[in-house]
Amino acid sequence: MSRNLRIVLIHPPHESDESERAHALQAGLAEAGYEVVASLPADIHLPEQISLLQPDMIIVDAESDARDVLEHIVIATRDERRPIVMFTEDETPSSMEAAMAAGVCSYVVAGLQPERIKPVLKVAMMRFQREQKLLHELEDTRHKLAERKVIDRAKGILMNKHAMSEDQAYQKLRSMAMNKNLKLADIAQRILDVEDLLG
Amino acid sequence: MQIEKERVRIGFNPLTDCASVVMASVLGFDRRHGIRIEPSKETSWAGVRDKLLSGELDAAHALYGLVYGTQLGIGASRRDMAILMNLNRNGQAITLSKRLCEQGAQDGASLARLMRAQERRYTFAQTFPTGTHAMWLNYWLAAHGVHPLKDVRTITVPPAQMSANLAAGHMDGFCAGEPWNHRAVMDGAGVTIATSQEIWPDHPEKVLAASADFVRAHPNTSRALIAALLDASRWIDASPENRMAMAEIISAVPYVNTGKEVIWQRILGHYDNGMGKRWQDGHSMAFHQNGEANYPYLSDGMWFMTQHRRWGLLKGDPDYQAVAARVQQTALYAEAAELTATPLPGSPLRRSVLMDGSVWDGHDPVRYAASFAIRQ
Repeated sequence: MSRNLRIVLIHPPHESDESERAHALQAGLAEAGYEVVASLPADIHLPEQISLLQPDMIIVDAESDARDVLEHIVIATRDERRPIVMFTEDETPSSMEAAMAAGVCSYVVAGLQPERIKPVLKVAMMRFQREQKLLHELEDTRHKLAERKVIDRAKGILMNKHAMSEDQAYQKLRSMAMNKNLKLADIAQRILDVEDLLG
Repeated sequence: MQIEKERVRIGFNPLTDCASVVMASVLGFDRRHGIRIEPSKETSWAGVRDKLLSGELDAAHALYGLVYGTQLGIGASRRDMAILMNLNRNGQAITLSKRLCEQGAQDGASLARLMRAQERRYTFAQTFPTGTHAMWLNYWLAAHGVHPLKDVRTITVPPAQMSANLAAGHMDGFCAGEPWNHRAVMDGAGVTIATSQEIWPDHPEKVLAASADFVRAHPNTSRALIAALLDASRWIDASPENRMAMAEIISAVPYVNTGKEVIWQRILGHYDNGMGKRWQDGHSMAFHQNGEANYPYLSDGMWFMTQHRRWGLLKGDPDYQAVAARVQQTALYAEAAELTATPLPGSPLRRSVLMDGSVWDGHDPVRYAASFAIRQ
């Protein structure tokens, strides 16, 4: 389920993404092992493009007028996973790291030199991974809860139909799972399926 | 009184209503109060906010709502802000595309009818999600029965790109400050379907904002700054000749960077909506009004919070009175007003009647915020 940090660069509307600046940054990011999924012009289509691409991080010049457009996107998506917006300008990496750790979504780095962006990317990556981990844990918990329900229902069927106690029903499920080399939840699901079929 | 910081860097965005910041520096009202204003041209409101917080800017020409958005942590981490004074009233507008106008949308009511008759996705732009233009646009649409969060798509577009995007058919209308609405009329891209003063006559607009930390550490500089801008505001409002001279100066490249003819019409109240109607506007952009336009009314500050609440930018009701009392620097303003012989109002609350007949007087903001039929 793990995937790479998806980065979008934003360049001025009348500047080609082949400009020297954009190129240097893209090369620097690639060299550091990051994937730039798109370099977008800061024009009216930006909100739609970003909503399509769902980037994890957006890199934009601190002096770009597209910053207000991004501000809108960040506010509009504040209840969902929102992108990290990174600005390129002057600021010490340590304060950026502090801001990142505090969950702030915007910070500023000096110029467009790849070596100055790396520490920020590192922290961004950490935040991203932490979020991914939380997502996985949540997913895991949900899954376990769902399995638990299936097992409980299968136990209920065994208890009703075969007049077993709860403990007996559980032992029966366990031995069936072991014999068939299946997970407890899978064998429970089969019992539910059969029950469904036979009504 | 010791001035803590003599050179004061003030951010502004290239709009007509940055005039008092520029004129205070150009005409030397700053030196009269022992400071030197260095106007700094900015490219975004988000940038202005970040620079106020980082100390790169000492104060700035800012959107009212942006200051409260920052104070209440909408979209960014919460930071204590200060509003030193109001810079201007009125002088913003809603521009509609020429196409929709030709199809019969000539005012809010006919636009709403057209939108109901021809269902499609309508896109309107403003300049900043918590800012004044977003709130004027939302208010105006809602007053005509159009839900700004459900019936239309709103996006943020930098003001200088508005006219071209409207002409290209990328959007149906926008709300922004001057000179961009007048510019769209001159370009033939759009029509002025409503002025912001029609929504709320004598509404507050841009403010002089700073971080609370700056004001705490530099009370004397802050007071001098308000005084210098009060003098500049008074000078601008003193005569049409002064306004013309102001237009000449701020239209230059380092400031608004546009033809002065784009600026001077509407600051003199000469409106042409692009649909054949010309009029002398009784509530055109005001910079001073003998101090009335500059006083940082608590009720003005609270109004923006009520609208943030109305549109779901705030999830709950803040302590409106307490927050406004902390942000609006009424005490410092009163001292600066005394220095410049500027009259003060009798109350920090004022009574306004908005376009839909709703009355806002600063009392019971919780009830007011919840009183609108169309809200999030």
